[in-house]
Amino acid sequence: MHELKPWLALIFQRPGRLVAGALLLLVTLISGIGLLALSGWFITQTALAGLLLAAGLQAAINLYVPGGGIRFFAVSRTLGRYMERVYNHDTVLRLLTDIRVALFRRLSGSPSVSRHQLTGAQWLSRLTNDVDALDTLYLRLIAPTALAVLITALALLLVGIIFNNAIAFGLILLFSIALVLATIGTYLSTRKTVWDQSDRLELLRSAVIEHLEGFPELTAAGQTSKHTAWLMHQASQHTSAQVKADSRVGYYQAGSTLLINLAVVFVLWVGFYLFEDDIVSGPLLVLLPIALLGLAEVYSPLPEAFGKLGATQASAQRLNLSESAPRSNAEKVKLSEELALVVSELSIQHGNQPPLFEQVNILLRKGDKLGIVGPSGSGKSSLSDALAGLIEPSHGTIAIDRFAYLTQQTVLFEDSLRNNLLLGKPEASDDELWQILQLVEMRERFASEPDQLDTWLSNAGSRLSGGEARRVALARVLLSPAPVLILDEPFTGVDATTRDLIKQRIAKWLTGQTIISLAHSPEALPGTDRIIYLPA
Amino acid sequence: MQMFFLARIVHLGIVNGVQSAQLLPLFSGLLLAIAIRSIAQGFQARFASRCSEKVRQDVRQQINHHWQSVGPVAIGLSSAGELAREWIDHVEALHGYFARFKPQLALSVIIPLVILALVFTLDWLAGLLLLFSAPLIPLFMALIGMGAEKLNQQHFNIISQLSGQFLDKVRGLTTLQLFGQTEWATELIQNRSDRYRIITMKTLRVAFLSSAVLEFFASAAIAMIAIYIGFGLLGSITYGPSEDLSLFSGLFILLLAPEFFQPLRTLSQHYHDRASALGAGAELLLRLNTSATTSNQSATEPDNRDSDTASGIHLRNATHAYQQGQPVLQGVNLTVQRGECVALTGPSGGGKTTLLHLLAGFIRPDVGTVSIFGQPAGSFSFGWLGQKGFLVSGSWADNLRLVAPEATDIAIVTALRSAGLGPLLDTREDGIYSRISEDGKGISGGQARRLSLARIFVADYDLILLDEPTAGLDRDSEMHVLKGLGALAQAGKTLIFSTHHEALLSLADRVLLVADGEVHDA
Repeated sequence: MHELKPWLALIFQRPGRLVAGALLLLVTLISGIGLLALSGWFITQTALAGLLLAAGLQAAINLYVPGGGIRFFAVSRTLGRYMERVYNHDTVLRLLTDIRVALFRRLSGSPSVSRHQLTGAQWLSRLTNDVDALDTLYLRLIAPTALAVLITALALLLVGIIFNNAIAFGLILLFSIALVLATIGTYLSTRKTVWDQSDRLELLRSAVIEHLEGFPELTAAGQTSKHTAWLMHQASQHTSAQVKADSRVGYYQAGSTLLINLAVVFVLWVGFYLFEDDIVSGPLLVLLPIALLGLAEVYSPLPEAFGKLGATQASAQRLNLSESAPRSNAEKVKLSEELALVVSELSIQHGNQPPLFEQVNILLRKGDKLGIVGPSGSGKSSLSDALAGLIEPSHGTIAIDRFAYLTQQTVLFEDSLRNNLLLGKPEASDDELWQILQLVEMRERFASEPDQLDTWLSNAGSRLSGGEARRVALARVLLSPAPVLILDEPFTGVDATTRDLIKQRIAKWLTGQTIISLAHSPEALPGTDRIIYLPA
Repeated sequence: MQMFFLARIVHLGIVNGVQSAQLLPLFSGLLLAIAIRSIAQGFQARFASRCSEKVRQDVRQQINHHWQSVGPVAIGLSSAGELAREWIDHVEALHGYFARFKPQLALSVIIPLVILALVFTLDWLAGLLLLFSAPLIPLFMALIGMGAEKLNQQHFNIISQLSGQFLDKVRGLTTLQLFGQTEWATELIQNRSDRYRIITMKTLRVAFLSSAVLEFFASAAIAMIAIYIGFGLLGSITYGPSEDLSLFSGLFILLLAPEFFQPLRTLSQHYHDRASALGAGAELLLRLNTSATTSNQSATEPDNRDSDTASGIHLRNATHAYQQGQPVLQGVNLTVQRGECVALTGPSGGGKTTLLHLLAGFIRPDVGTVSIFGQPAGSFSFGWLGQKGFLVSGSWADNLRLVAPEATDIAIVTALRSAGLGPLLDTREDGIYSRISEDGKGISGGQARRLSLARIFVADYDLILLDEPTAGLDRDSEMHVLKGLGALAQAGKTLIFSTHHEALLSLADRVLLVADGEVHDA
């Protein structure tokens, strides 16, 4: 359960709203039970009075109080339900925002390494589902359970007052078992299944993504059907597990309803003995079983919610994992005025693998243009990530001036071209944006679009070709006023002619700035003063 | 049944003063009814879940067929994550609809009718009271339907938009961090969420009215019946059937009244299941329907009887356009002999990739024909190497057996070594049976492409198509790819690749320039 702790803390940040919502729910439920119970009492009362009247005897009966009560409950149930639904949905939406914002904050505080361990698309889909699983925690689990306990206690208190304590204690036993069945019982019996299921679904997701990514190759090899059959088998395992969990929830629900009904029978049975001894009146004898019958409705949503708790826990655990590593603050080294970068005795090592570099020393003055060339796997990107502070070096220090970094992977947001570019320089004017687009030879491409700078770049910039997206990302970094620019493979997917054109323009554009560019061959570098070659 | 026994017991016990011991048979009946009800409830959950299981398998199968029919190019247009989400999550969203909503829909028609019939036999006036609200039931359903439908659709859209926005920001989090704009993005998420919440709540307030109306009628009907029965029992109502009312029938009717409305209320609770299923279903249908348009474009089949076509690869007057009026390839005629090694070069956007896709049968020409060794394109296995390598999580052997299930261990090792992956393989403890990604660290892009190349070696195809096989590769990988392609050409395979690379161009027997929708010998 400890997985849920941080999320519960987040949810309970709004105690006022939660309590108010729960109270509205309470009013609704009590009104519903009260309406039926009071009606039963009233009918019995009138039936007895009617018999007396028919026998010619005097019978005094107050019709207005119960009549009024019935009408009151009818109205309060309706109003309660409506207000409860509106209010609690608002709460849920607020919680959703809270959860997202909190999650995003924590993610932004963590280094990218922990995120990179999970493949992008898979991780993101998972995140959606996991966040969705959390937002129902309050409305489906916490509030209904708390209310079930509260209302049961009230009902039993009533039993204790009207009948006697011994009966109330007997009922406590029955209801406790019913409650345990509906909550903890369901949870424990489905926990493992749904937890595994939730993990299995993630494995299945990565398998489907692999299937899609390899689709051209699989199609060419004529092997899609076979791989598809394998996927279907995995999926069917998932759904069978779900049937198992659903069935268990069904049986536990049935068990809990059974116990509540047994309690009703029990109350009725012992009630008759008390009735025969003239300890309770007929109408009261009717009121209690009906009130207890109403509890079935309070208990009924519990098993389904608890049947999903295992999956919610798995979700919470995954979310906790994805944010567990806080950014460790390596000691910052001061940089003197005329320097842009000082790397001393730097070593980078991933896990137990042999170190990529050892004892690297680099010193750059302002305005220096450094090129780093090496084959893939030589650790170029690791080096640039380390310079940018995205990964921790295993040894050594890095001091770097303010920088902008073009990562090896092209990242564009599903937003307008303008917003994508403005990330580099929030205060840039439209003229500046067009100018920088001109520089990367993308001005005409967007000038012909109807929305110009407001052109929407959707789905990882899929309307742009790989080379075009790369150039937009490059433009964004070039726009940045930061004194140091780190460019990792700036021209991926850009044809040689365009590349050479852009290289010339960059040389003119970036006069005072320090540039560190990395590529697999010297041709793919913009102008450099010196080049470091990394061994394979 | 349960209610019948309950009411009967109360009636006999209180009104007739029957000793409790004599009520024993009735109590047993009550217990029996309760037990049966519980068991039935348990089984209902099981069967409903089973039914939904089958539906979901069927839908997944359909999506698979769809993927198969649209081909790799159309699939490549959408992100794999999004498609996987459809295959997994959207299909899962159908579960609630088939396991909960549909059965409940049937119940909410049957149960009220049965109850109504029962109440009528007991007291027709009370029956009338219920009947009065009965015609309202379809109305309720329509109300819930209209309100909730629109609302839920909207809600579903908003939620998915919101999570889309959120995910997009998370996806680019590193970039945001690097530009120091995470706070800006956090505020954006917060503001957008809040704005959506306010809009949603406006519609929710109206939409919940419909369920409030249902709640009101349910409550009012119970209240009216209670008061009517009460007065009837007192004898103050002198007309109608009320004189025949007893505590038994009165209580029975009262207890049945909430059951009359209960199915409908449960239905409205399950409405979100329907909404999410509809939302997901709509997207799935949209996806499935796009297939029809693209796959129906297939042009005339190649003329196989023509004797000289069987020997090589022939494009006749092939034209293909992604957008109407802007053909990427126009009236291309091309013949490649079996065993030839052909390089395609030309500016980006000139149609090299499109030509390769046509040859692969991933797309069909709008006009004209493509024939490969006398058969339509894509009708037999061939090698394909795209710009991105591809691997499945699993061992080296798993990855190679994906295309050549029968390959021996030796064949696999040889293929991997030919692709220059030998040194990497030697560092792994279990050789070809060690997992490719260890310590959460994958292999580089160049190595992944070499893995794909190894697959081509192991599968021994006659035709191999490669799209920019050396683009973005480091020297080492490049060298291995060049060597590998040379070996394949030597072995008499038919190779067609697009490239700008000098070394690759010199490898080719023939270089074709693909530009402005036309293909010429360079």
